[in-house]
Amino acid sequence: MDKNLRLKFRPGDLIAAAAIAVLAGAVALIFFTGRSTGPAEAEIRQNGELIDTIPLDTDTEFTIEGDYINVVTVRNGEIAITSSDCPGEDCVHSGWRSTSGQCIVCLPNLVEIRIVPSDGSAYSGVDGVTG
Amino acid sequence: MSNTKRLALQAILVAAALGLSYMERFIPLQMVIPLPGVKLGLANIVSLFALYFLGWRSAFVILILRCTLGAVFGGGVTALMFSLTGGLLSMAVMALTRHVPFFSVYGVSLCGAAAHNIGQILVAAFTLNSVYIFAYLPFLLLVGLVTGVLTGAAASACFAALIAAGQEPLAK
Repeated sequence: MDKNLRLKFRPGDLIAAAAIAVLAGAVALIFFTGRSTGPAEAEIRQNGELIDTIPLDTDTEFTIEGDYINVVTVRNGEIAITSSDCPGEDCVHSGWRSTSGQCIVCLPNLVEIRIVPSDGSAYSGVDGVTG
Repeated sequence: MSNTKRLALQAILVAAALGLSYMERFIPLQMVIPLPGVKLGLANIVSLFALYFLGWRSAFVILILRCTLGAVFGGGVTALMFSLTGGLLSMAVMALTRHVPFFSVYGVSLCGAAAHNIGQILVAAFTLNSVYIFAYLPFLLLVGLVTGVLTGAAASACFAALIAAGQEPLAK
């Protein structure tokens, strides 16, 4: 058989798997280190612009309107998009988030909810991301 | 292979890839892993076949047609940007890793899945105008490890059956 056609799993394939796992770990390290367990707040961005900052220690419910409408609920220190008329509703399926560094995204509505520590230390982990 | 046969085969593969993408919508993978963009990537079996049996030029033609027609049938411009960027990056990586001597079809499929994830996150970062969407990448990459092996296994089985039936793979 043609030696260029390697059909069986080879030990070399583990190198690809390992490289991908290392890349995943490295990206996770960049984004999830320095997370704080202290009081958190949620930064709401739409189309890249910060439109509101919501403390997570007060229960509330509000809507974000754009091409679609996201209903956002804050309850017991956690935040979630609890209903949305966007296609797919990936944002709703993301569920409840409470830890700094986590985020909820609604791509169709261009909405990003990012959880940051209330003490303003949010961006100490990364100076910038290039490439 | 005659031009007519190649043209017919390309058309069949575009149809097969579209069929597979449509079918996989009914597999509720997002119930298990609730992340945007998580899918099996079954159409990648077609990409792998095209790459190994028809060459990279045909593989790219099939990919571009599949993404464009997929957007026409349902999905629109946003879906086109996501599938085309992910698909082109993935195909470029697979066309190169195919020639890495210590990779089998599995390794090529794994690299393709990872490249697809990275491409889609790049589009999402561009769309949202924010780099923080990259926080999703580790999860997508880990899911891609599993789906990459699955599509690699499916492609491997397909290739073995096709060779047994007399289909000739390309030497290079």
